[in-house]
Amino acid sequence: MTIREVGEKLGLEPLTTVPEKVVTGVYISDMVSDVIANAKAGNVLVTIQVHNNVIAAANLVDVAGIVVTRGRRPADEMLALAGKAGVPVFATAMDTWQVATRLFEAGIR
Amino acid sequence: MAAANDAFRYEMVNVRPGYIVVEHERFSNAMRSYFSTEDTPPVEEYREGAKVWKYSGFAQSFRFDVMDRETGETHPFADLLGLVWWAGCRDGSEPAVIGDVAADQKVQVYVALTWEGPDGRRAPLAAERLKVLNRYFNERIREPGKKILILPDCFDLGRQFSYGQVMVDLGLTALD
Repeated sequence: MTIREVGEKLGLEPLTTVPEKVVTGVYISDMVSDVIANAKAGNVLVTIQVHNNVIAAANLVDVAGIVVTRGRRPADEMLALAGKAGVPVFATAMDTWQVATRLFEAGIR
Repeated sequence: MAAANDAFRYEMVNVRPGYIVVEHERFSNAMRSYFSTEDTPPVEEYREGAKVWKYSGFAQSFRFDVMDRETGETHPFADLLGLVWWAGCRDGSEPAVIGDVAADQKVQVYVALTWEGPDGRRAPLAAERLKVLNRYFNERIREPGKKILILPDCFDLGRQFSYGQVMVDLGLTALD
């Protein structure tokens, strides 16, 4: 499944352009250092963190996309950075647990 | 410790979560930082000779080593403070210009910032260790053609920015 399909399936709001990237799994974290240490390439990163550093970390470990939960809205600056990194960002009113369960139901492990 | 993955030559090991604690000297306003592995970041003011150091702030971070599965060698990176992404650098600065050009070729540039020594100087990471760090991240990249290039701090980023600016503005990936 691609990140675009994930976005459509879960009804996520794309905040950036969404390239075709294959999703390999999910990582949930609000800590940038934790993302660097443990997220894997191709993971969907589910977070409430909207600091610019999230993009730097996501780019470093090559995540497939970022889902920002609980209705939080990243600043335009963060979205511009996401564009430079080619990391798609989605927003949703769902909380992190709801997104996790929906991703599980979608078959992503 | 990060999960092992047999497909990769390099593995992140000995991951130690902790805090980057920033403090300032009460009279001179000099700033310095250190890595703490305590459960909560120490905030107590303390005296060091004629100087009084006060807590300024903290950020969660971690330290790690990288193990080479082929050789069994472990490369410590305790002196690595964080990685600065080019896009988080000031517009027109050298890392921003180089990073922008490199990104056009799908190369994402990061600058490895190191801790200050007792003399206030920062020794950049040696090339051989940077190669290990670059190999670690690059062998995990899935996007075709994408590369990570981690450079030594030849740009004096550590001197140009105060700790506060680093934490707030610079895009230091070890901080959050």
